Amino acid sequence: MNLVEKILARASGRRAVTPGEIVVADVDCLLLHDLSGYLTARVFEKEVGRPVRYPDRVVLVFDHHFSPPSEERAVVLEENRAFARRHGIHLFDCGSGNIHHVGVQGGFVRPGAVIVGSDSHTPVHGTLGCFAAGLGNNSHAGMVMPFGKAWFRVPETTRIELAGQHQKAVTPRDAALWLTGQIGEGGAVYRALHFAGPYIDDLDIWDRWLFPLITIDVGAKCGFIDPDHKTLEFMAQLTSRPFDVVRSDSATEASETLTFDVSDLEPQVAASPTLGNVHPVGEFAGRAIQWAELGGHGGGRIEDIRQAAAVLRGRRIADGVKFNVVPSSRQVFAQACAEGLVGDLFAAGCTWFPPSTGSNQAINMGAMAATEAMVSTHARNFPGRNGSPDAMMYLASASTVAASAVRGTLTDPREFLV
Amino acid sequence: MTQARGRCWKFGDNIPTDQIVRSDRALASMAEMRAHVLENLNPAFARDVQPGDILVAGRHFGQSSGRAIAPKALQATGIGAVVVEYAARLFYRNCFEIGLPLLQCPGVTAAVADGDVLAVDIEAGTVLVEKTGALIQGEPTDPFLLGMLRAGGLIPMAAQLAGEE
Repeated sequence: MNLVEKILARASGRRAVTPGEIVVADVDCLLLHDLSGYLTARVFEKEVGRPVRYPDRVVLVFDHHFSPPSEERAVVLEENRAFARRHGIHLFDCGSGNIHHVGVQGGFVRPGAVIVGSDSHTPVHGTLGCFAAGLGNNSHAGMVMPFGKAWFRVPETTRIELAGQHQKAVTPRDAALWLTGQIGEGGAVYRALHFAGPYIDDLDIWDRWLFPLITIDVGAKCGFIDPDHKTLEFMAQLTSRPFDVVRSDSATEASETLTFDVSDLEPQVAASPTLGNVHPVGEFAGRAIQWAELGGHGGGRIEDIRQAAAVLRGRRIADGVKFNVVPSSRQVFAQACAEGLVGDLFAAGCTWFPPSTGSNQAINMGAMAATEAMVSTHARNFPGRNGSPDAMMYLASASTVAASAVRGTLTDPREFLV
Repeated sequence: MTQARGRCWKFGDNIPTDQIVRSDRALASMAEMRAHVLENLNPAFARDVQPGDILVAGRHFGQSSGRAIAPKALQATGIGAVVVEYAARLFYRNCFEIGLPLLQCPGVTAAVADGDVLAVDIEAGTVLVEKTGALIQGEPTDPFLLGMLRAGGLIPMAAQLAGEE
């Protein structure tokens, strides 16, 4: 069995599971955010009417709102707070960071665990060697909260074997965006993606993290990386709570293997309307942008801020461009302070925002008019997520975001990083 | 709960939940979400859809955010079933969990036209085009999920299971 099969077997009290089977498994952690947490709480209290079975396993993070923009939203957050108090679940209020970073930094995500969440990017947690999948509100309200369980169909597994070293100014995010196009939207529906190979082994945890992040957008159920010494060192800094290290058996673990080499890769851009619309940055060169952002569920890591600083030090962003920097967590902001990056980016003309998910869905910032465009490290570029359905969203690495902000048009970062 | 008959409303490939219910309406009332459902893709749908009608769509329907409000807004129109080439997995889960019949039926979009009267049987996995008599065979649905549809969704099913323990 592979890692996912072993975890699902143990969590459902079976000796073994096979792909296609439906199992009911114990859940170790439920991650909710302020929007779907609110929707889930409404369903739970109106339709279920039982207590939360394991409050210590439920984590609610306000990340789409770093501050409520209206009375209506203030009421939503107050109802969320009351729900958290009433049921004794963990609450991380405005300014804590984005749900996935808070879940990791808080030690709630541990190797070997079953992690579920309302956010569709929940599979990102497979980075740490757990089974992590996004579920709908009714799963959470109807099974996870009252019984501590969820149903899963055991997925078929595709092993994604990555090799090579990228060229200068090309980043792991470029590789992940490119891989989305290679596998294709819906190219891996319902499957588990096992990211492996020398390229993955060489990456640090927060760069590995960009790969399981894409699983939802190729239609997969979950993504995972077998834990290694880097995973264990990473976990040792975050939690003293025990966990099981589960690894895949090598021979029989996947029904197909796809191999890729990143050596010749150029910086990539995924343009609206979907993530599958990904091409080398040169194909979009010259298109105007008015907004740049490091943020969203995919961006705002310390690695992103460092990459942007490497382009922006000694330069200024173009007139007419607004560049918003949104740290993924308070820890990231503290680190950016310690490294002098806050001042560097400010001097280049950037604006710092509170730790959150930034303009993801434009809940508290980042709405655009029909004629505007943004380049960002976000995870999504679907029409209508940031204001007008006609506004454009370009997803790129932090280096490309910064280079484009300097020129005011989509720009290859190799023009600055030679 | 596992059969439906009505007129076909046809949509394309890779439609995200954000296009079913715009994300800035995520906290709106169900009546408002239903009134605007799919409006960017076909403004006539929310206005003219009749109870029992069948929504047919292409590949990877319901991708992006896994909010159950997207299928709930479709369910609020009274449609009898959703038939797709294949669904995004969260959308697939959510349909069964809220009790909205869904059938994955590769080839369906080429075989039906807007306005065709269709008879859908989830248990048999079939779509019948009434005017031509053509029968399209879709995929089987797991008995666990058929049980969920018959129970009216996950919440009543879980309550039943808990009561039996």
